[in-house]
Amino acid sequence: MTLADKVSVAGMGCVCACGNTPAAAFEGALNGNALFALPAGRVESTYTAKYPVFMVPPDEYAQKPTDITFSQFFFIKAALQAFEQAGISPQQLNAKRVGVIVGASVHPSFHCFKVYRHWKTDKLAEADYTALKNYLASPLAQWVSRYFGFEGPFQTVATACASGTDAIGLAKNWIETGLCDVVLCGGTDEVTQSPYVGFIRLLVSSAQRCRPFCKTRTGINIGEGAAALLLTNAQTAKQLNLPCQGYVLGYGNACDGFHPTAPDPKGTGLQKALSFALQDAGKCADDIAFINAHGTASQANDSAESMAFNTILPGVPVWGSKGVTGHTLGAAGAVEAVLSLQALNQRLVPATVGFTTPDEALHLVPTTQNISITKRFAVSDSLAFGGCNAAIVLGAADVA
Amino acid sequence: MLPKLYINGFSCLTSDAQLEDFAPFLDVRKLRRAEPISKNVLLCALRALQQAQVPPSAREDMGISLAMGAGALGSTIKFMDSIIEDGDELSSPTAFASSVHNSTALMLSMFLQMHGPCVVTGQLDASFAGALVTAQQFLAKHLCEQVLVVITEDVNPLLQDVLQKNPHVFDPFLYQPTQKAQRVAAAFVLSAAATQHTQFVLHHLQLASTQAVQTQSEPLIPVQSCAHSALLLNHYLQVKEPFHLQEQFAGMLFNVQGEPYVLP
Repeated sequence: MTLADKVSVAGMGCVCACGNTPAAAFEGALNGNALFALPAGRVESTYTAKYPVFMVPPDEYAQKPTDITFSQFFFIKAALQAFEQAGISPQQLNAKRVGVIVGASVHPSFHCFKVYRHWKTDKLAEADYTALKNYLASPLAQWVSRYFGFEGPFQTVATACASGTDAIGLAKNWIETGLCDVVLCGGTDEVTQSPYVGFIRLLVSSAQRCRPFCKTRTGINIGEGAAALLLTNAQTAKQLNLPCQGYVLGYGNACDGFHPTAPDPKGTGLQKALSFALQDAGKCADDIAFINAHGTASQANDSAESMAFNTILPGVPVWGSKGVTGHTLGAAGAVEAVLSLQALNQRLVPATVGFTTPDEALHLVPTTQNISITKRFAVSDSLAFGGCNAAIVLGAADVA
Repeated sequence: MLPKLYINGFSCLTSDAQLEDFAPFLDVRKLRRAEPISKNVLLCALRALQQAQVPPSAREDMGISLAMGAGALGSTIKFMDSIIEDGDELSSPTAFASSVHNSTALMLSMFLQMHGPCVVTGQLDASFAGALVTAQQFLAKHLCEQVLVVITEDVNPLLQDVLQKNPHVFDPFLYQPTQKAQRVAAAFVLSAAATQHTQFVLHHLQLASTQAVQTQSEPLIPVQSCAHSALLLNHYLQVKEPFHLQEQFAGMLFNVQGEPYVLP
């Protein structure tokens, strides 16, 4: 099988704190521009005067219907961009087997906190019943599938912060195994009170802008947004004359079984996931232009990740993008895949925004300036609570 | 080409696991602080693995495909309660960490020493079907030789209360006020090739969204849970006859056909 026969990306979309399209988000990553602000008005919490987050600009959701969540709205926005870039409408895919896989963390949980609060205080109103009805009627991927009129398989991946990467990897597999011709995949998440307060209470959130892999790193900033990728097999791409934005070539996944909120310090599970992804793609460390790291800027994550990179992908440049996106939780892997494809296609890897001082203990210095690349493949990885690790190998549009 | 799925072991619980149930398998003291849904799914997994005769040494690279309709509800509710009752600054970080879907996957990975691929599916009533599709994908891509497919569900007290007072909120779902709400867990050990311990083979598996008119029939299993399709599959396996499990409601179509496996 040649690269031209592999699973390709016909279109992609993205909305996050550093931009409202893939191109704009990548420009934001290159320039370090993003909306990093205190979330008062969006989140009810006593912490909102102290802990900022990376937010989607309000103009982007001014049109959000009240009966759907931000997660749903962001993903549809990103998906519509993906269809537009692919030059095809959802209706034109009717004759194809179209699947939907969406990764998220907030939406697949019981996210009706306001309703629950009202119920606890005996104040349930008609609006609360409507909210519950909407909750029951909108399992994420199924809702997206129905929104676009598809009748194929669907899956909402809830592997916490690895969900976005898993969604893309599973979508690649759905196409390779013949389950689908086309899969709309990606991730989406939103800043709500639960994750905002939860991460602060776990003492992993920082009141300052995050500094991935930096000696002075003080923790994560959560963020929100969505990214969508329209994946297809070679036959369908040819039949429908779809463009190619890049390739998804490999996927690996392995769990640590180590700790509820911290990775195995040696990054053992991540090492397996990276190795599986490279093997699946038929690539080795020498082929890889850069790694888009999970790089949350927590002590434990950056340390475990460095161990894994130094073992499996030694010497490969590492880019941490959460200094412009924040940690978008279930969307992170998808947002980072889109940014990585932009970087591959523009042959330019951005500096790791926030990084200032090397940490000798990590034996790893991420990109400190925007760098040119010639190699055409990249790795993007994600780590999650519970020790779930995922990695994908991406190829530039011009590799085939 | 998608493989057939061979069922080598299965187990189901519709009442909570007790600590003494674990005595044949592990040191029960390690489970004293575990959430009920985690204990339930761990016990089902241990029993299914025992039935499939998967030794501990063969678990390292096994896959885990976990389904949770609404996540770790008990912990989610504890976390929300801690915010409501104690305020943000005294809310429980432990409850928050445990509320993540993966916390249940961790229990399996840690106690069973399983370090292969692991994906969690969270989509209410379609969660188990999604987990089966993922297991089939793990096997089709040769990521592992056997997969542990598990589902565990908690009871949502808010939804239970609303169900009694305002059942129309739940249309067109299967839930009925007359059905009993309880914690449920189930586990199935699957492979892409028959083993010496294979009991059933699934010939056809389909999960799709549908725009078709929704139908609702009287549920065979009188338990109200996102895990009802897993309970239904378990029921058919207990009966040991060929079966065709089909559910279509709320925009979802789930289809699986199987029969007892006979050694060639």
